[in-house]
Amino acid sequence: MQHTLDQIVSAARAEFAAAAPLPSRAEFEAAKARYVGPNGQLTAQMKKMGTVPKEERPALGKLINQTKVEVQALLDAALARIEAAELRASLGPPIDPTLPSPDLGRGAFHPLTAVREELSRILRKVGFTVADGPEVETEYYCFDALNTPADHPARDTQDTFYLPPAARFANVAKKSPQEQYLLRTHTSSVQIRTMLKGQPPIRIVSPGRVYRRDTTDATHSANFQQLECLYVDKGVTVRDLKALLDYLFESLLGKDTKTRFRPHYFSYTEPSFEVDLSARHLPKVNKEWIEIGGCGMVDPTVFADVGYDPEVWSGYAFGMGIERIAMLLYGIDDIRYFYQNDLRFLSQFA
Amino acid sequence: MKISLNWLKDYIALEASTEEISRAITFLGFEVEAVLQTGLPPLENVVVGHILTREKHPNADKLSVCTVDVGPEHGGVRTIVCGAPNCNAGSRVVAALPGAVLPGDFKIKSSKIRGQVSDGMLCSSAELGLGEDHDGILILSGEPAPPAPGAPANAVLPAGDTVFDVEITPNRPDCQSHLGLARELAAWFKLPLNYPQVTFRGPAEGAPERRDLLASVQVDTPVECPLYSAHVISGVKVGPSPDWLQARLSAVGLRPINNIVDVTNYVLLEYGQPLHAFDAARIAGQQLRIRHAHAGELLTTLDGKARELEPPTLVIADAEKPLAVAGIMGGETSGVSAETTDIVLECAVFKRQSIRRTSRRLGLSSDSSYRYERGVDPHTSIEAAQRAVDLILATAGGAGQEGQGGGAVVGPVYQIGGEAPWQREVVVTHDYICEKLGFDIPSADMRAAFESLELRITREEPTESRGPAWTLAIPSWRQDLDRPIDLVEEVLRVYGTEKIPAGRVVSPGLLAEDAPAVVFNRRATEFLVGHDFQECANYTLRSGKELSTWVSQTAAAELALANPFVADQSHLRPTLILGLLDTLHLNQSRGTAVQRLCEVGRVFVESNGQNYECASAAFIIAEDGARRWLKREPADFYTTKSLVAALAEMAGIDFARQPLQLAAGGELGWQEGHAATAGDLGKQGWAAQLGLLDLALVKSLGIEGQVYGGSFSIVPEKLAAAAQARRRFAPFSLYPTTQRDLALVVPAELPAETVRKQLQKAARAAAGTRFAVEAVSLFDVYRGPGLGEAEKSLAFSLVFRAEDRTLTDEEVNAAFQRLQDELLQGSGYRLRS
Repeated sequence: MQHTLDQIVSAARAEFAAAAPLPSRAEFEAAKARYVGPNGQLTAQMKKMGTVPKEERPALGKLINQTKVEVQALLDAALARIEAAELRASLGPPIDPTLPSPDLGRGAFHPLTAVREELSRILRKVGFTVADGPEVETEYYCFDALNTPADHPARDTQDTFYLPPAARFANVAKKSPQEQYLLRTHTSSVQIRTMLKGQPPIRIVSPGRVYRRDTTDATHSANFQQLECLYVDKGVTVRDLKALLDYLFESLLGKDTKTRFRPHYFSYTEPSFEVDLSARHLPKVNKEWIEIGGCGMVDPTVFADVGYDPEVWSGYAFGMGIERIAMLLYGIDDIRYFYQNDLRFLSQFA
Repeated sequence: MKISLNWLKDYIALEASTEEISRAITFLGFEVEAVLQTGLPPLENVVVGHILTREKHPNADKLSVCTVDVGPEHGGVRTIVCGAPNCNAGSRVVAALPGAVLPGDFKIKSSKIRGQVSDGMLCSSAELGLGEDHDGILILSGEPAPPAPGAPANAVLPAGDTVFDVEITPNRPDCQSHLGLARELAAWFKLPLNYPQVTFRGPAEGAPERRDLLASVQVDTPVECPLYSAHVISGVKVGPSPDWLQARLSAVGLRPINNIVDVTNYVLLEYGQPLHAFDAARIAGQQLRIRHAHAGELLTTLDGKARELEPPTLVIADAEKPLAVAGIMGGETSGVSAETTDIVLECAVFKRQSIRRTSRRLGLSSDSSYRYERGVDPHTSIEAAQRAVDLILATAGGAGQEGQGGGAVVGPVYQIGGEAPWQREVVVTHDYICEKLGFDIPSADMRAAFESLELRITREEPTESRGPAWTLAIPSWRQDLDRPIDLVEEVLRVYGTEKIPAGRVVSPGLLAEDAPAVVFNRRATEFLVGHDFQECANYTLRSGKELSTWVSQTAAAELALANPFVADQSHLRPTLILGLLDTLHLNQSRGTAVQRLCEVGRVFVESNGQNYECASAAFIIAEDGARRWLKREPADFYTTKSLVAALAEMAGIDFARQPLQLAAGGELGWQEGHAATAGDLGKQGWAAQLGLLDLALVKSLGIEGQVYGGSFSIVPEKLAAAAQARRRFAPFSLYPTTQRDLALVVPAELPAETVRKQLQKAARAAAGTRFAVEAVSLFDVYRGPGLGEAEKSLAFSLVFRAEDRTLTDEEVNAAFQRLQDELLQGSGYRLRS
């Protein structure tokens, strides 16, 4: 019997050897039945136990059991290999990793959004929060509250878009019924709204679209984006304003960036300055200064108009065009690209 | 305005270089737009040449070989090769001889040109820095006498000048003049300012008063004309101005006309005070009257245009007719001509608003109106008039100049109106200025700055802190200085803004957050970009024609601008989709494959006769036109639904609970039966549209393939409320769920959500308080064989769970049975077997 059992094991070994061809699942099931099935060889040996003398049974039983464990192990290993092969087969042939993905290209921010968010992020770090206001404004918020005289050319219908007197904007409140709606010419109107709504100290940045009645060309666009900062607190100084602009442009353009102030005139700041920029690593501004925005200390008249005591509160304001910054940063020479949305343009800034 | 350096030097001894002066003007607060060189700079070895002969160059078609007499002291006759077509024999020209250096560092030397020696160069005006004319060499005029060969070019050509084109800010009308800017530069360079010496202070004693030339002046409108003065000057000799005067005017771009007109222009540019000279003989009735024009009155202005006037246009009239549009332009016939012998010199102050209104209405502006619009100093007007009288007597006074009789005589002089003497004082302290600046400037520097700007210190008093308090007398031409803060700027300007020291940003923490609309914009953009959309930026202003494809005529009318600039940008955009379709079309037509585009921005929506400015996010999904080796599932309505739902949820709208309406035929822009809407802007403050864009619209735009889209708009105020909502934790059960499926046969046209809600309601009723119905979700929709034509089957999965135990099959089965009984009873639905 020992001999028969040895034969069974070696037959099974031969049949399921790793080197042997892998049987199909059906072949395997048939083979399995041949060994351990009800009519299998091993089962047949076990059935012979009854014919064996009583005293030999324990030894024989042990022997059969060993054989059974061994055969079962071979079967299990074979089954595992068959299952693995089946899984592999279910995946089909291997992929070609060099084929292009048929999925969509990635989305990307518009360069103006990217620049706007970059500037907002830099300013948020030093305590500015981003404020918002309507693009359809009234004469009060856009001009009167900013100390713009009634006969100022900026208010003229030649320069500013107006809505007809009958237009009604349910969610843009007029200060007085005689006022006309217009498209804001600067985001300074947001400063007024913010000051009227809250109490100082205030530290806001207001980015957004503004509108000028102007011929569209390489540097002018009927709508463009501005970004303005307003800081109102006690004891705010010209030096603070300069420090903010140095910080802002060094953060944006690098350590070798310089700003300078030129005295200027704006009706809502006193003193007022234009800001020039130079950055060694940027083409166009590496040799000469270029004008980048306007700024100044909030005029006491503006404070008085929004009900802040000019004796107590002081502040600065700064504004610039986002397109201009983006053009400088990326070396773009025509503002119209921003609003044309040719993907060959947009995708360059992804 | 154009400022001549030579002219400035009349008032200050400027030694600084052009660059330094440019810098000074810039840091005083005026933009230098250009620096121009006019006239001939001093040049050596550049002389008058006389072309004796001209022959064709033997080796070059376009060159000539000339012999040129350049005078005995320069070697007599020289051979010079010239390429210009006009180097004709006999012409007097400018020859640059070897050793000369022309503007632009162009060195002249003797050379061989195509084998022919050329001993110098004949110059064009461009080469001499005199202009842009490159067409040929400069031919010198033979009038009055041909210039002698060998004479230095500087002796025969206008002298050089440097002209700064300066933009003057509107707060500084005093700087619309050479004197004004000289005053600023004197402060900057710390140089004394020399005012012009005015000698005429009134008619000479006993001089004959020619009231026969002008008998009266009457101002009907003293508010609009607070000052009017008229100097009668008889016996003038009209003729060309002296060279110095012509050179001054030419340098700043004015054409010399005659000595009288040139003087008025000169004083305008010197003092900033407009002046006008009438021919006294042309004043009917010998009277001037400043009044409003009568409707329909005609006047031909100096520019040759006949103008019909109407009130309240201010005019200077005689007894019969208007002679001039006040402050803007004189009339063609009443001006000074060659025959004029007696003049009336007008010097007046007109109100800014009146001039501006008229200038706009007539579409007519002039150097004069430009200054009146910005404001002239009424306290220096008479001084300017007297300066002009001086200059007229000097240049057009005839034989007996300087009042020695026989020449021009002044008188009478009329003056109507005039301001009370100017007086304004402002008190400012040293400490206040330092406090506003954030750094210290020594009080001596401040004092010097005030004095250099002619802000006279009338009092200086010590204060309790470091520096003194000054009382400053503000000069009449600085009416922009009214408060201590205004003086901070004056000190800083003269001190130099480049000296503002560096600082650190100090940032106290404030209780504030980004505005809700800003947060929504940012999140929506990030979401869409994260879902592979390319963000776009389209113009806010669209054409009326385009709007009519999207909103009703009434709504389009509400969104029209009162004064559009161009026809295709006449309306506010009611949606971002139209711009995105533009973008899609542009890229398709340029051969760029585009699928997903988005934009986030403001839209303007009409609802029940009211407009709303809304924050909006929108996207479009075009058909994938590209051939691909592996096809992906195309987008459909439900793609847009999931995206719009996400946008709405960012805005705090629980989109899943909002009813969606199938787009009917009236929903412009969207395909009937394949798109949906939700919300109501007027009632709920938000609205959404999603699905397939109108096929005909898309096709009419030239876009290939179908386009899906979605748009979500909300009034910003509603976002504010959403931002405040803080989530609360809800505890959840740790026990397993039990699930049952149910397929219902229902009428085909019934919205699935209606059935789902009924089912959910029935399930909740059946479960009662014993356990929860966690979800009732649809997982299959079937129409076809086995069902009636007008039927569909909806299969739902119901998920149950108890808070405190594992549910038993029995209790779930019982509830499941109850809900079926409940639902099927009376609903007309049946179970799908």
